[in-house]
Amino acid sequence: MKSIITLNVNGEVHEIAVNPWRTLVDVLREDLKLTGTKRACEQGACGVCTVIMDGKAILSCLALAVDCAGHSITTIESLGSSDGLHPLQQSFIDNGAVQCGFCTPGVIMTAKALLDENPNPDDTAIKEALAGTYCRCTGHIKTVEAVKKAVQAGREVK
Amino acid sequence: MRLPRFEYLRPSSLYECLELLEGSGHESRIMAGGTDFLVSLKQGVISPQKVISIRSVPELGSVSEDAEGNLQIGACANLSDLVKHSLVLKKLPALHDAISSVGSMHIRNMATIGGNLCLAPRCWYYNQSKQWRHAVEGCYRTGGKVCHAISGSKRCHAINSSDTAPMLIALGARVCLQKKDNKRWISLREFFRDDGRHHTVLEKGEMLTSVIIPCETGKDRSTFIKIQHRKGLDFAIGSIGASVKGNGRKKEISLIINSISSVPLFLAKAAETVMESGFNESAIGKAAEIARGETGAVTNLFTSAGYKRQIVEVLVKRALSSLKRK
Repeated sequence: MKSIITLNVNGEVHEIAVNPWRTLVDVLREDLKLTGTKRACEQGACGVCTVIMDGKAILSCLALAVDCAGHSITTIESLGSSDGLHPLQQSFIDNGAVQCGFCTPGVIMTAKALLDENPNPDDTAIKEALAGTYCRCTGHIKTVEAVKKAVQAGREVK
Repeated sequence: MRLPRFEYLRPSSLYECLELLEGSGHESRIMAGGTDFLVSLKQGVISPQKVISIRSVPELGSVSEDAEGNLQIGACANLSDLVKHSLVLKKLPALHDAISSVGSMHIRNMATIGGNLCLAPRCWYYNQSKQWRHAVEGCYRTGGKVCHAISGSKRCHAINSSDTAPMLIALGARVCLQKKDNKRWISLREFFRDDGRHHTVLEKGEMLTSVIIPCETGKDRSTFIKIQHRKGLDFAIGSIGASVKGNGRKKEISLIINSISSVPLFLAKAAETVMESGFNESAIGKAAEIARGETGAVTNLFTSAGYKRQIVEVLVKRALSSLKRK
Protein backbone atom coordinates (compact mmCIF):
# COMPACT_ATOMS: atom_id res chain seq x y z
CA MET A 1 0.00 0.00 0.00
CA LYS A 2 1.34 3.40 -0.93
CA SER A 3 2.06 5.95 1.72
CA ILE A 4 2.43 9.68 1.28
CA ILE A 5 5.86 10.85 2.38
CA THR A 6 7.64 14.17 2.48
CA LEU A 7 11.14 14.09 1.05
CA ASN A 8 13.43 17.06 1.40
CA VAL A 9 15.81 16.80 -1.55
CA ASN A 10 18.36 19.56 -2.23
CA GLY A 11 16.32 21.99 -0.14
CA GLU A 12 13.12 21.34 -2.07
CA VAL A 13 10.25 19.62 -0.32
CA HIS A 14 8.43 16.95 -2.32
CA GLU A 15 5.28 15.20 -1.28
CA ILE A 16 5.04 11.86 -3.02
CA ALA A 17 3.13 8.62 -2.79
CA VAL A 18 5.47 5.62 -2.71
CA ASN A 19 5.23 1.90 -2.15
CA PRO A 20 7.28 0.78 0.86
CA TRP A 21 9.42 -1.60 -1.20
CA ARG A 22 10.91 1.20 -3.28
CA THR A 23 14.45 2.31 -2.51
CA LEU A 24 15.57 5.91 -2.28
CA VAL A 25 17.57 5.69 -5.53
CA ASP A 26 14.46 4.49 -7.41
CA VAL A 27 12.36 7.34 -6.08
CA LEU A 28 15.06 9.94 -6.79
CA ARG A 29 15.54 8.74 -10.36
CA GLU A 30 12.04 7.73 -11.38
CA ASP A 31 9.70 9.98 -9.41
CA LEU A 32 11.82 13.09 -8.94
CA LYS A 33 13.74 12.65 -12.22
CA LEU A 34 17.03 13.34 -10.45
CA THR A 35 19.00 10.95 -12.63
CA GLY A 36 22.40 12.24 -11.51
CA THR A 37 22.42 9.53 -8.82
CA LYS A 38 23.23 6.25 -10.55
CA ARG A 39 22.22 2.67 -9.87
CA ALA A 40 25.01 0.11 -10.20
CA CYS A 41 25.60 -2.95 -8.01
CA GLU A 42 22.49 -2.30 -5.88
CA GLN A 43 24.00 -4.38 -3.09
CA GLY A 44 25.99 -1.77 -1.23
CA ALA A 45 29.33 -2.77 -2.66
CA CYS A 46 30.18 0.04 -5.10
CA GLY A 47 29.15 3.40 -3.60
CA VAL A 48 27.92 4.70 -6.97
CA CYS A 49 24.46 5.58 -5.58
CA THR A 50 25.87 7.65 -2.68
CA VAL A 51 23.78 10.63 -1.56
CA ILE A 52 24.11 12.69 1.60
CA MET A 53 21.42 12.31 4.24
CA ASP A 54 21.58 14.61 7.27
CA GLY A 55 25.27 15.24 6.59
CA LYS A 56 26.25 11.58 6.21
CA ALA A 57 27.11 9.74 3.00
CA ILE A 58 24.65 6.88 2.59
CA LEU A 59 23.85 4.31 -0.07
CA SER A 60 20.53 5.18 -1.68
CA CYS A 61 20.16 1.63 -3.05
CA LEU A 62 20.00 0.26 0.51
CA ALA A 63 17.63 2.81 2.01
CA LEU A 64 13.88 2.53 1.74
CA ALA A 65 12.36 5.79 0.55
CA VAL A 66 9.76 5.58 3.33
CA ASP A 67 12.56 5.43 5.91
CA CYS A 68 14.03 8.67 4.51
CA ALA A 69 10.84 10.69 5.07
CA GLY A 70 11.53 13.81 7.07
CA HIS A 71 15.31 13.65 6.54
CA SER A 72 17.29 16.11 4.49
CA ILE A 73 18.82 14.58 1.34
CA THR A 74 21.49 16.11 -0.89
CA THR A 75 22.23 14.72 -4.35
CA ILE A 76 24.84 15.53 -7.00
CA GLU A 77 22.34 17.91 -8.66
CA SER A 78 22.83 20.39 -5.81
CA LEU A 79 26.50 20.85 -6.67
CA GLY A 80 27.59 23.59 -9.07
CA SER A 81 25.33 25.91 -11.01
CA SER A 82 24.99 27.33 -14.49
CA ASP A 83 27.71 29.83 -13.53
CA GLY A 84 30.30 27.24 -12.72
CA LEU A 85 31.20 23.88 -11.31
CA HIS A 86 31.62 23.01 -7.68
CA PRO A 87 35.34 23.01 -6.71
CA LEU A 88 35.27 19.23 -6.22
CA GLN A 89 33.75 18.70 -9.66
CA GLN A 90 36.38 21.01 -11.20
CA SER A 91 39.16 19.22 -9.36
CA PHE A 92 37.95 15.84 -10.64
CA ILE A 93 38.06 17.15 -14.22
CA ASP A 94 41.43 18.90 -13.80
CA ASN A 95 43.05 15.81 -12.31
CA GLY A 96 41.75 13.28 -14.80
CA ALA A 97 39.59 11.56 -12.18
CA VAL A 98 36.65 11.28 -14.58
CA GLN A 99 36.64 8.84 -17.46
CA CYS A 100 33.31 7.22 -18.25
CA GLY A 101 31.88 9.25 -15.37
CA PHE A 102 29.34 6.70 -14.18
CA CYS A 103 30.75 6.38 -10.66
CA THR A 104 31.67 10.09 -10.42
CA PRO A 105 28.45 11.34 -8.73
CA GLY A 106 28.90 8.75 -5.98
CA VAL A 107 32.60 9.48 -5.49
CA ILE A 108 32.04 13.25 -5.41
CA MET A 109 29.17 12.99 -2.93
CA THR A 110 31.35 10.75 -0.73
CA ALA A 111 34.17 13.31 -0.90
CA LYS A 112 31.74 16.14 -0.17
CA ALA A 113 30.38 14.40 2.92
CA LEU A 114 33.96 13.89 4.11
CA LEU A 115 34.99 17.51 3.50
CA ASP A 116 31.81 18.90 5.06
CA GLU A 117 32.73 17.09 8.25
CA ASN A 118 36.48 17.53 8.08
CA PRO A 119 37.71 20.30 5.73
CA ASN A 120 41.34 19.20 6.11
CA PRO A 121 41.42 15.41 5.92
CA ASP A 122 44.77 13.62 5.73
CA ASP A 123 45.54 10.99 3.10
CA THR A 124 44.35 8.15 5.31
CA ALA A 125 40.99 9.80 5.97
CA ILE A 126 40.47 10.43 2.24
CA LYS A 127 41.39 6.85 1.36
CA GLU A 128 39.20 5.44 4.11
CA ALA A 129 36.19 7.43 2.91
CA LEU A 130 36.76 6.62 -0.76
CA ALA A 131 37.31 2.93 0.06
CA GLY A 132 33.53 2.60 -0.14
CA THR A 133 33.46 3.68 -3.80
CA TYR A 134 34.49 1.87 -6.94
CA CYS A 135 35.84 3.29 -10.16
CA ARG A 136 36.60 0.65 -12.77
CA CYS A 137 38.14 2.90 -15.43
CA THR A 138 40.03 5.78 -13.85
CA GLY A 139 41.21 3.70 -10.92
CA HIS A 140 41.53 5.02 -7.44
CA ILE A 141 44.77 6.97 -7.46
CA LYS A 142 43.35 9.84 -9.47
CA THR A 143 40.15 10.13 -7.48
CA VAL A 144 42.15 10.32 -4.24
CA GLU A 145 44.47 12.81 -5.93
CA ALA A 146 41.53 14.96 -7.05
CA VAL A 147 40.15 15.19 -3.52
CA LYS A 148 43.63 15.97 -2.15
CA LYS A 149 44.13 18.76 -4.69
CA ALA A 150 40.71 20.22 -3.87
CA VAL A 151 41.72 20.30 -0.21
CA GLN A 152 45.19 21.73 -0.94
CA ALA A 153 43.83 24.46 -3.15
CA GLY A 154 42.10 25.69 -0.03
CA ARG A 155 39.00 26.09 -2.05
CA GLU A 156 35.81 26.67 -0.26
CA VAL A 157 34.19 23.28 -0.46
CA LYS A 158 30.59 23.20 0.47
CA MET B 1 17.39 -5.43 -8.58
CA ARG B 2 13.95 -4.68 -7.26
CA LEU B 3 12.71 -5.47 -3.80
CA PRO B 4 9.82 -7.89 -3.40
CA ARG B 5 6.55 -6.52 -2.07
CA PHE B 6 6.00 -6.35 1.67
CA GLU B 7 3.95 -4.53 4.24
CA TYR B 8 5.93 -1.81 6.01
CA LEU B 9 5.51 -1.14 9.71
CA ARG B 10 7.23 1.65 11.57
CA PRO B 11 6.66 1.53 15.34
CA SER B 12 7.43 4.70 17.25
CA SER B 13 8.08 3.06 20.62
CA LEU B 14 9.67 -0.14 21.86
CA TYR B 15 6.38 -1.34 23.31
CA GLU B 16 4.62 -0.88 19.98
CA CYS B 17 7.49 -2.64 18.23
CA LEU B 18 7.32 -5.68 20.54
CA GLU B 19 3.55 -5.79 20.15
CA LEU B 20 3.83 -5.83 16.35
CA LEU B 21 6.49 -8.52 16.53
CA GLU B 22 4.35 -10.68 18.81
CA GLY B 23 1.28 -10.25 16.62
CA SER B 24 2.91 -11.03 13.29
CA GLY B 25 5.18 -13.92 14.27
CA HIS B 26 7.16 -15.59 11.51
CA GLU B 27 5.69 -13.45 8.73
CA SER B 28 7.59 -10.41 9.91
CA ARG B 29 11.25 -9.47 10.02
CA ILE B 30 12.99 -6.63 11.79
CA MET B 31 15.02 -4.14 9.79
CA ALA B 32 17.47 -1.76 11.46
CA GLY B 33 20.13 -0.23 9.18
CA GLY B 34 19.07 -2.41 6.25
CA THR B 35 22.56 -2.74 4.76
CA ASP B 36 22.52 -6.53 4.96
CA PHE B 37 18.79 -7.14 5.26
CA LEU B 38 17.81 -5.35 2.03
CA VAL B 39 20.49 -7.23 0.07
CA SER B 40 19.06 -10.56 1.29
CA LEU B 41 15.60 -9.33 0.35
CA LYS B 42 16.76 -8.33 -3.14
CA GLN B 43 18.41 -11.72 -3.61
CA GLY B 44 15.27 -13.47 -2.45
CA VAL B 45 17.11 -15.26 0.37
CA ILE B 46 14.31 -14.12 2.68
CA SER B 47 10.83 -12.97 1.73
CA PRO B 48 8.92 -11.71 4.77
CA GLN B 49 5.37 -10.45 4.39
CA LYS B 50 5.96 -7.67 6.87
CA VAL B 51 9.03 -5.54 7.52
CA ILE B 52 9.26 -3.76 10.86
CA SER B 53 11.57 -0.76 10.55
CA ILE B 54 13.01 0.00 13.98
CA ARG B 55 15.15 3.00 13.00
CA SER B 56 12.94 5.54 14.65
CA VAL B 57 12.33 3.68 17.92
CA PRO B 58 13.86 6.21 20.36
CA GLU B 59 14.61 3.69 23.15
CA LEU B 60 16.91 1.69 20.89
CA GLY B 61 19.33 4.45 19.89
CA SER B 62 20.83 5.44 23.20
CA VAL B 63 24.41 5.06 24.44
CA SER B 64 24.97 5.51 28.16
CA GLU B 65 27.22 4.68 31.08
CA ASP B 66 25.79 3.21 34.28
CA ALA B 67 26.93 3.85 37.85
CA GLU B 68 29.58 1.10 37.73
CA GLY B 69 31.00 2.45 34.50
CA ASN B 70 29.53 -0.24 32.24
CA LEU B 71 28.64 0.91 28.76
CA GLN B 72 25.10 0.26 27.58
CA ILE B 73 24.45 0.55 23.85
CA GLY B 74 20.99 0.42 22.27
CA ALA B 75 20.56 -2.06 19.42
CA CYS B 76 19.91 0.72 16.90
CA ALA B 77 22.99 2.78 17.79
CA ASN B 78 24.64 3.71 14.52
CA LEU B 79 28.16 2.36 13.88
CA SER B 80 29.60 5.70 12.67
CA ASP B 81 28.22 7.45 15.74
CA LEU B 82 29.73 4.75 17.97
CA VAL B 83 33.15 5.08 16.33
CA LYS B 84 33.14 8.77 17.25
CA HIS B 85 31.53 8.32 20.66
CA SER B 86 33.74 9.63 23.45
CA LEU B 87 32.93 6.72 25.80
CA VAL B 88 33.90 4.13 23.18
CA LEU B 89 37.07 6.02 22.25
CA LYS B 90 38.12 6.53 25.84
CA LYS B 91 37.16 3.23 27.44
CA LEU B 92 37.11 0.59 24.71
CA PRO B 93 39.64 1.36 21.96
CA ALA B 94 39.60 -2.26 20.75
CA LEU B 95 35.83 -2.09 20.25
CA HIS B 96 36.44 1.12 18.32
CA ASP B 97 38.82 -0.82 16.02
CA ALA B 98 36.27 -3.61 15.56
CA ILE B 99 33.47 -1.22 14.64
CA SER B 100 35.74 0.80 12.30
CA SER B 101 36.53 -2.38 10.39
CA VAL B 102 32.88 -3.03 9.43
CA GLY B 103 32.09 -2.39 5.75
CA SER B 104 32.82 1.07 4.38
CA MET B 105 32.09 4.56 5.69
CA HIS B 106 28.79 4.45 3.78
CA ILE B 107 27.78 1.14 5.35
CA ARG B 108 28.76 2.30 8.86
CA ASN B 109 26.73 5.48 8.35
CA MET B 110 23.64 3.29 8.00
CA ALA B 111 24.37 0.08 9.94
CA THR B 112 23.68 -0.55 13.62
CA ILE B 113 25.38 -2.55 16.37
CA GLY B 114 22.32 -4.78 16.88
CA GLY B 115 22.22 -5.45 13.15
CA ASN B 116 25.87 -6.43 13.11
CA LEU B 117 25.33 -8.88 15.98
CA CYS B 118 22.26 -10.41 14.32
CA LEU B 119 23.99 -10.45 10.91
CA ALA B 120 22.71 -13.43 8.95
CA PRO B 121 25.38 -16.06 8.27
CA ARG B 122 26.75 -15.95 4.74
CA CYS B 123 27.58 -18.58 2.16
CA TRP B 124 29.01 -18.55 -1.37
CA TYR B 125 26.04 -20.51 -2.65
CA TYR B 126 22.99 -18.77 -1.28
CA ASN B 127 24.15 -15.15 -1.03
CA GLN B 128 23.64 -14.84 -4.77
CA SER B 129 20.81 -13.93 -7.09
CA LYS B 130 17.77 -16.19 -7.32
CA GLN B 131 18.73 -17.26 -10.85
CA TRP B 132 22.17 -18.35 -9.64
CA ARG B 133 20.68 -20.42 -6.82
CA HIS B 134 18.10 -22.03 -9.08
CA ALA B 135 20.80 -23.51 -11.28
CA VAL B 136 21.12 -26.33 -8.73
CA GLU B 137 18.77 -27.82 -6.15
CA GLY B 138 17.95 -25.84 -3.02
CA CYS B 139 20.20 -26.09 0.05
CA TYR B 140 19.25 -26.45 3.72
CA ARG B 141 18.88 -22.69 4.06
CA THR B 142 16.67 -22.38 0.99
CA GLY B 143 14.34 -25.27 1.71
CA GLY B 144 16.33 -28.16 0.23
CA LYS B 145 18.26 -31.08 1.67
CA VAL B 146 21.86 -30.50 0.60
CA CYS B 147 24.73 -28.20 1.49
CA HIS B 148 26.56 -26.84 -1.55
CA ALA B 149 29.44 -25.47 0.48
CA ILE B 150 30.37 -28.87 1.92
CA SER B 151 28.95 -31.71 -0.12
CA GLY B 152 27.63 -34.61 1.92
CA SER B 153 27.09 -32.44 4.98
CA LYS B 154 23.93 -32.94 7.01
CA ARG B 155 23.58 -29.28 7.94
CA CYS B 156 24.07 -25.73 6.70
CA HIS B 157 27.62 -24.37 6.96
CA ALA B 158 27.06 -20.68 6.36
CA ILE B 159 29.62 -18.45 8.03
CA ASN B 160 29.04 -15.87 10.75
CA SER B 161 30.85 -12.73 9.56
CA SER B 162 30.08 -10.27 12.34
CA ASP B 163 33.14 -8.20 13.27
CA THR B 164 31.77 -6.75 16.47
CA ALA B 165 30.68 -10.14 17.87
CA PRO B 166 34.15 -11.60 18.63
CA MET B 167 35.30 -8.35 20.22
CA LEU B 168 32.16 -7.93 22.32
CA ILE B 169 32.30 -11.56 23.49
CA ALA B 170 35.95 -11.10 24.48
CA LEU B 171 34.94 -8.00 26.43
CA GLY B 172 32.31 -10.05 28.28
CA ALA B 173 29.30 -8.26 26.80
CA ARG B 174 25.75 -9.24 27.66
CA VAL B 175 22.72 -8.70 25.46
CA CYS B 176 19.13 -7.89 26.36
CA LEU B 177 16.49 -9.93 24.52
CA GLN B 178 12.96 -8.65 24.79
CA LYS B 179 9.51 -9.99 24.04
CA LYS B 180 6.22 -8.25 24.63
CA ASP B 181 5.92 -9.66 28.14
CA ASN B 182 9.40 -10.92 28.87
CA LYS B 183 12.89 -9.55 29.13
CA ARG B 184 16.08 -11.57 29.61
CA TRP B 185 19.78 -10.83 29.75
CA ILE B 186 22.18 -13.41 28.44
CA SER B 187 25.89 -13.41 27.81
CA LEU B 188 26.63 -12.64 24.16
CA ARG B 189 28.58 -15.89 23.96
CA GLU B 190 25.32 -17.81 24.47
CA PHE B 191 23.48 -15.72 21.90
CA PHE B 192 24.77 -17.66 18.89
CA ARG B 193 23.62 -21.12 17.91
CA ASP B 194 25.59 -23.68 15.97
CA ASP B 195 22.90 -26.05 14.71
CA GLY B 196 22.92 -24.79 11.13
CA ARG B 197 19.22 -23.89 11.34
CA HIS B 198 18.93 -20.80 13.51
CA HIS B 199 21.99 -18.67 14.04
CA THR B 200 20.80 -17.01 17.25
CA VAL B 201 18.75 -18.07 20.28
CA LEU B 202 16.09 -15.42 19.52
CA GLU B 203 12.64 -16.90 19.95
CA LYS B 204 9.46 -16.08 18.08
CA GLY B 205 8.45 -12.49 18.80
CA GLU B 206 11.76 -11.71 20.49
CA MET B 207 14.36 -9.11 19.55
CA LEU B 208 17.77 -7.90 20.68
CA THR B 209 17.32 -4.49 22.29
CA SER B 210 20.65 -3.58 23.87
CA VAL B 211 24.21 -4.60 24.66
CA ILE B 212 25.98 -3.96 27.93
CA ILE B 213 29.77 -4.02 28.08
CA PRO B 214 31.54 -4.27 31.44
CA CYS B 215 34.08 -1.55 32.01
CA GLU B 216 37.77 -2.39 31.80
CA THR B 217 39.62 -1.76 35.03
CA GLY B 218 43.24 -1.52 36.09
CA LYS B 219 45.43 -3.57 33.82
CA ASP B 220 42.61 -4.94 31.65
CA ARG B 221 43.43 -4.67 27.97
CA SER B 222 42.00 -5.85 24.71
CA THR B 223 42.71 -5.98 21.02
CA PHE B 224 40.95 -6.63 17.71
CA ILE B 225 42.48 -7.86 14.45
CA LYS B 226 40.72 -8.59 11.17
CA ILE B 227 42.15 -10.19 8.06
CA GLN B 228 40.34 -9.50 4.81
CA HIS B 229 41.05 -9.84 1.10
CA ARG B 230 41.30 -6.08 0.67
CA LYS B 231 41.57 -3.37 3.27
CA GLY B 232 38.25 -1.63 2.78
CA LEU B 233 34.66 -2.75 2.42
CA ASP B 234 35.03 -6.48 2.79
CA PHE B 235 33.92 -9.25 5.08
CA ALA B 236 36.65 -10.88 7.16
CA ILE B 237 38.43 -14.11 6.24
CA GLY B 238 39.08 -14.26 9.95
CA SER B 239 38.82 -11.83 12.84
CA ILE B 240 39.83 -12.08 16.47
CA GLY B 241 38.76 -10.27 19.60
CA ALA B 242 41.11 -10.82 22.53
CA SER B 243 41.16 -9.52 26.08
CA VAL B 244 43.08 -9.90 29.32
CA LYS B 245 41.27 -9.23 32.56
CA GLY B 246 42.95 -9.04 35.93
CA ASN B 247 46.61 -9.47 36.63
CA GLY B 248 49.16 -11.99 37.84
CA ARG B 249 47.79 -15.41 38.75
CA LYS B 250 44.17 -14.33 38.53
CA LYS B 251 44.61 -13.27 34.94
CA GLU B 252 41.86 -14.31 32.56
CA ILE B 253 42.42 -14.35 28.83
CA SER B 254 39.66 -14.57 26.22
CA LEU B 255 40.37 -15.34 22.58
CA ILE B 256 37.36 -15.27 20.27
CA ILE B 257 37.65 -15.95 16.59
CA ASN B 258 34.96 -15.35 13.98
CA SER B 259 34.29 -15.57 10.24
CA ILE B 260 35.65 -19.10 9.96
CA SER B 261 32.54 -21.10 10.87
CA SER B 262 28.86 -20.71 11.83
CA VAL B 263 29.51 -19.15 15.24
CA PRO B 264 32.18 -17.09 16.97
CA LEU B 265 34.58 -19.62 18.53
CA PHE B 266 36.03 -19.51 22.00
CA LEU B 267 39.66 -20.68 21.98
CA ALA B 268 39.80 -22.00 25.53
CA LYS B 269 42.88 -24.24 25.31
CA ALA B 270 45.00 -21.63 23.56
CA ALA B 271 44.05 -19.02 26.16
CA GLU B 272 44.85 -21.49 28.96
CA THR B 273 48.35 -22.07 27.61
CA VAL B 274 49.19 -18.39 27.89
CA MET B 275 47.45 -18.08 31.26
CA GLU B 276 49.67 -20.85 32.62
CA SER B 277 52.98 -19.95 31.01
CA GLY B 278 52.62 -16.15 30.73
CA PHE B 279 53.13 -13.89 27.73
CA ASN B 280 56.42 -15.23 26.40
CA GLU B 281 57.37 -16.03 22.83
CA SER B 282 57.28 -19.80 23.21
CA ALA B 283 53.90 -19.81 25.00
CA ILE B 284 52.42 -17.54 22.33
CA GLY B 285 53.75 -19.82 19.58
CA LYS B 286 52.39 -22.89 21.35
CA ALA B 287 49.00 -21.26 21.91
CA ALA B 288 48.74 -20.34 18.24
CA GLU B 289 49.51 -23.92 17.26
CA ILE B 290 46.91 -25.27 19.69
CA ALA B 291 44.34 -22.76 18.39
CA ARG B 292 44.81 -24.17 14.91
CA GLY B 293 43.49 -27.53 16.01
CA GLU B 294 40.82 -26.10 18.26
CA THR B 295 38.65 -24.65 15.53
CA GLY B 296 36.06 -26.23 13.33
CA ALA B 297 36.95 -24.18 10.27
CA VAL B 298 34.92 -24.94 7.16
CA THR B 299 35.59 -24.43 3.47
CA ASN B 300 33.24 -21.63 2.44
CA LEU B 301 33.36 -18.02 1.24
CA PHE B 302 36.46 -18.12 -0.92
CA THR B 303 38.89 -19.81 1.44
CA SER B 304 39.46 -23.46 2.33
CA ALA B 305 39.32 -24.92 5.83
CA GLY B 306 43.10 -25.41 5.74
CA TYR B 307 43.68 -21.79 4.86
CA LYS B 308 41.30 -20.69 7.59
CA ARG B 309 43.22 -22.75 10.16
CA GLN B 310 46.39 -20.98 9.06
CA ILE B 311 44.57 -17.63 9.49
CA VAL B 312 43.57 -18.70 13.01
CA GLU B 313 47.19 -19.42 13.91
CA VAL B 314 48.34 -16.07 12.56
CA LEU B 315 45.52 -14.18 14.27
CA VAL B 316 46.15 -15.78 17.66
CA LYS B 317 49.87 -15.05 17.40
CA ARG B 318 49.28 -11.42 16.44
CA ALA B 319 46.58 -10.85 19.04
CA LEU B 320 48.65 -12.30 21.90
CA SER B 321 51.74 -10.36 20.83
CA SER B 322 49.68 -7.19 20.71
CA LEU B 323 48.27 -7.86 24.21
CA LYS B 324 51.80 -8.51 25.46
CA ARG B 325 52.94 -5.10 24.21
CA LYS B 326 49.96 -3.17 25.57
